[in-house]
Amino acid sequence: MSNADKNDYENVIFARPDIMVDRSTHFCPGCGHGIIQRLVGEALEELKLHERAICIGSIGCTVTAYEYYKVDGMEAPHGRAPAVATAIKRCRPNLVPFSIQGDGDLASIGTAEIVHAAARGEKITIIFANNATYGMTGGQLAPTTLMGMYSSSTPDGRNAAQSGFPIRVSEMLATLDGPAYIARVAVNSPANVRKAGKAINLAFRTQLAGLGFAMVEVLSMCPINWKVEPVDAPEWMVKNMIPQFPLGEFKVLPAVAALKKADRE
Amino acid sequence: MPERTLMGGNIAVGEGALLAGCQAYFGYPITPQNDLLEFMARRMPELGRVFLQTESELAAINMVYGAAAVGFRTMTSTSSPGFSLQQEGISYMAGAEMPAVIVNIMRAGPGLGNIGGAQGDYMQCTRGGGHGDYYLITLTPSTVQEMMDLTMLAFELADKYRNPVLVIADGFLGQAMEPVTIREKVKKLPEKKWAITGAKGRPKNLINSFEMNPLDHPRRIKLLLEKFERMRVHEVRYEGLNLDDADIVLVAYGSAARSAITAMNIARKNKLRVGLVRPITVFPFPYQPLADLAERGCKFVVAEMSGGQMIEDVRIAVGNQNEIKLVNSYGGVPLEADPIFETIDLLM
Amino acid sequence: MNWEITVSGFGGQGVLFIGRLLADAGFNAGLDITWLPYYSGEKRGGMCSCFVNISDERIGSIFITHPDVGVAMNPAAMKMLEPTVKTGGLLVVNTSLVKTKSARHDIKVVYVPTVEAAKELGDETVGNIIALGAVIANAQVTTTTSIIKVLNQMLSKDKKQLELNKAALLKGCEYS
Repeated sequence: MSNADKNDYENVIFARPDIMVDRSTHFCPGCGHGIIQRLVGEALEELKLHERAICIGSIGCTVTAYEYYKVDGMEAPHGRAPAVATAIKRCRPNLVPFSIQGDGDLASIGTAEIVHAAARGEKITIIFANNATYGMTGGQLAPTTLMGMYSSSTPDGRNAAQSGFPIRVSEMLATLDGPAYIARVAVNSPANVRKAGKAINLAFRTQLAGLGFAMVEVLSMCPINWKVEPVDAPEWMVKNMIPQFPLGEFKVLPAVAALKKADRE
Repeated sequence: MPERTLMGGNIAVGEGALLAGCQAYFGYPITPQNDLLEFMARRMPELGRVFLQTESELAAINMVYGAAAVGFRTMTSTSSPGFSLQQEGISYMAGAEMPAVIVNIMRAGPGLGNIGGAQGDYMQCTRGGGHGDYYLITLTPSTVQEMMDLTMLAFELADKYRNPVLVIADGFLGQAMEPVTIREKVKKLPEKKWAITGAKGRPKNLINSFEMNPLDHPRRIKLLLEKFERMRVHEVRYEGLNLDDADIVLVAYGSAARSAITAMNIARKNKLRVGLVRPITVFPFPYQPLADLAERGCKFVVAEMSGGQMIEDVRIAVGNQNEIKLVNSYGGVPLEADPIFETIDLLM
Repeated sequence: MNWEITVSGFGGQGVLFIGRLLADAGFNAGLDITWLPYYSGEKRGGMCSCFVNISDERIGSIFITHPDVGVAMNPAAMKMLEPTVKTGGLLVVNTSLVKTKSARHDIKVVYVPTVEAAKELGDETVGNIIALGAVIANAQVTTTTSIIKVLNQMLSKDKKQLELNKAALLKGCEYS
């Protein structure tokens, strides 16, 4: 909670984390990214990472993620954030590099970088915002676009003969030995948002404890490109997206499970 | 007395990087520079520095970008096809003003080409190479000693200008062994207040090339262009040999320059007045010295291991009045002294 | 002084190694040196050449077109080197693989059955050192003492190999 907020109001129950910059975001109405940005901000604040976190902006709707935090930041080329983060962590292990990567960035153009960062067990934190579409470039086919789903580059809907099948990144990376923590969450409901916040927090603590690669895939709403009303987008996600991308934890090393257990106690 | 030893060109690059205080090396195997990567794989960890063999040249250059951003002296080395892959990252680094050294031990292209040495990446190196408005100081060693010395200089210039610097050599020079005098270790690395080291006791630092507001971007580019102009003014380097009375001037760099020296010596023995301009930087290119020689009425022979790329810079310098001849090899074949001498002979 | 030496043969015949011995001997004598390997893509069995310049002046070209000394370890090397050795120069021919004779009268040609000679020493892998011995015996590039000094440094950890190489060098010196 920022000091300014505290001074202005007596009984504050909800405020912007102090580590976040006091500004509006550039996200569209009903977009899930703002929630994800905030959850990351809450984790950074709770873990007191003001002087250690490095926010790596990726290409896509999260491109200016570094604008929203009062921590050091840099921009990565499209898909390359895991490589950039790898170098930052290996050069200065005390820093806490993280990136919020979209589905085009992580699961299409950056597949080599994410797979190898995960396989090497790089001690970095990746938040994978999956909204099944290319938001910033105007709703083209994404590697996670659902079967039959409209996109501006599959005007008749995604079909397998033309575009193959959506990639389940969390399940895929969980087959590797390098990752310490991999989970898929969603930001479609208050309960899921709370769970997502916990997972993101755990992904940072996995890095802080030096346990290995951590990634949280967050299913996120994109009503503009899904062509649904913002208010209907959460329900659309439940109906269409979660069946394809089931929520849950896919890789939890025992040491990470121990961190979680310590939480509950 | 400084140590003198017989050393390979690629290894001299590695030794030079260590002496210059390179703190992090990232690279992907590609012939003909694998001995450099292997040297760094052994030496960097021994010295407590960062080494990583990456999944691709793309990852390598982006790791260099990350390492530069946290204030490390850092480098990668590759050969032509890998260098093409790295253009994206280099463009970002130029845009974000990140210092680093990129070593390109060139082989023959286009495409997979051939593992033989070549100088076919000249245009790519001297014209930016990636997208957008940028240039890179490009150093061209022609001896194993210079492989060491210019690598060390590259780190200095990268930090001086906050810009990536290229060291380019053909694969032959990378493989060649020559006597080398070991230089003194750089003792103090420059302070980098702009680096992202954690926002402790200062406002946050941000490293990017992006401006959300389109009106802000030209201002940023203008600053970059002014910087490239300063390089053009201050960083031109070349070696001139036998120019005082020269009627014919050879222009060559790298191992082609070595063959040109032999051709020049043969010519001199035959009482032909031949000199040599050997660019040590090809960006910035030594236009002025060549223009002065053109003014004097010299003819020019450009010797290069490519289809004829540097000759375009010589044309810019010399204009249309003076005769310029190209003698070249391509496809991974050395350029030997004989054809260079024959070309001189033709011009006389 | 200015020596240009080209050794050529198959990869695996020790072409680069004898070039390296010559380069090190020259370096130890305080001379300027260039040593350049030149080969096709295969790791073993491809064509392989080694260019060595030894000079008391600044060396120009690292490539050698007209060697003072050529060592032809296989037929392709013979084809390449036989016409290019400088007048007055030396060509050492490995007759274990090269069955042709040189037609040149303006150079000295020394025929050495490197494999058979090496077998007499009990190890056919030192054929290259035997060829090097023939070079030293027939051209004033360097001395056996200088090469033995280099061998002592390089093979200090393997006494058996060291003695074998020394014997091969001396045996090679018998050819003229």
